[in-house]
Amino acid sequence: MKLLRTYPSAFARVSEFDEWFRHPLAGMPTLGQFFSHLGGVLPGVTSDKLAVDVHEDKDAYHAHFEVPGVKKEDVKIELNNGLLTVTAEKRQKNGESESSHTLSRSISVPDGVNVEAITAKLEDGILNLTLPKAENKKPRSIELN
Amino acid sequence: MNATCTPSTCAPAAPSGVTESLRKPLYHVNGNAEAYEVRVEMPGVPKSGVKLDLEDNLLTVRGERASNAREGLKALHRELSPLNYLLRLRLNTPVNEEKMTAKLEDGVLAITLPLRQTAKPRQITVN
Repeated sequence: MKLLRTYPSAFARVSEFDEWFRHPLAGMPTLGQFFSHLGGVLPGVTSDKLAVDVHEDKDAYHAHFEVPGVKKEDVKIELNNGLLTVTAEKRQKNGESESSHTLSRSISVPDGVNVEAITAKLEDGILNLTLPKAENKKPRSIELN
Repeated sequence: MNATCTPSTCAPAAPSGVTESLRKPLYHVNGNAEAYEVRVEMPGVPKSGVKLDLEDNLLTVRGERASNAREGLKALHRELSPLNYLLRLRLNTPVNEEKMTAKLEDGVLAITLPLRQTAKPRQITVN
């Protein structure tokens, strides 16, 4: 699948993602859904779309992107209108010549994330993004007077 | 082999006694007159998790993912395979095993296999 860099398709992908955030209890997508999201491309095969895992705990969302062979300086993370876009440029040396291709993925940042406190770490070819939940958006109980 | 098995998640013929599911990593091979370079993509594998072995022209690369403390976390979406990696390549060119080097960087293991210098052609003079 070629990455569609136009906005409409970016939003189409985001809406898929929104679903997972909005219905976290829906659980994992089925295998069939999983493959359709990848556009029929099997994992492990080069595609222009970064693979991602998203986990949640009580304090934060954690997104893990697979970016093997990508240098820290070739990773760009942008946050724009609640849309977080990771772009990674992969350079590959083939003897004398050098080739590069760009991989990208956008995820929609759920409501209640403290966007100022988002952190990213690159380790062993995995980009770890931590999206902390805002203090006032954490579940709390309200006392009745 | 079960129904959820896909080419990339199926273990290549595991040695007897091994039942763990393994995944064949993506790899590229480049070469010149001096050496071959094999680049194996194993995101999530730390240096301590790489096992490299060359025996009888069979190059075996194993990559063990770092035990990520993701227990207690709720998975909202999963695309990354949690399986460890296994790649086995049969070499058809003699390589200099002593000078073989490997470097792990950003989740890519680069293995350099210098070609064995074949004996130089020799002129034999007839007495």
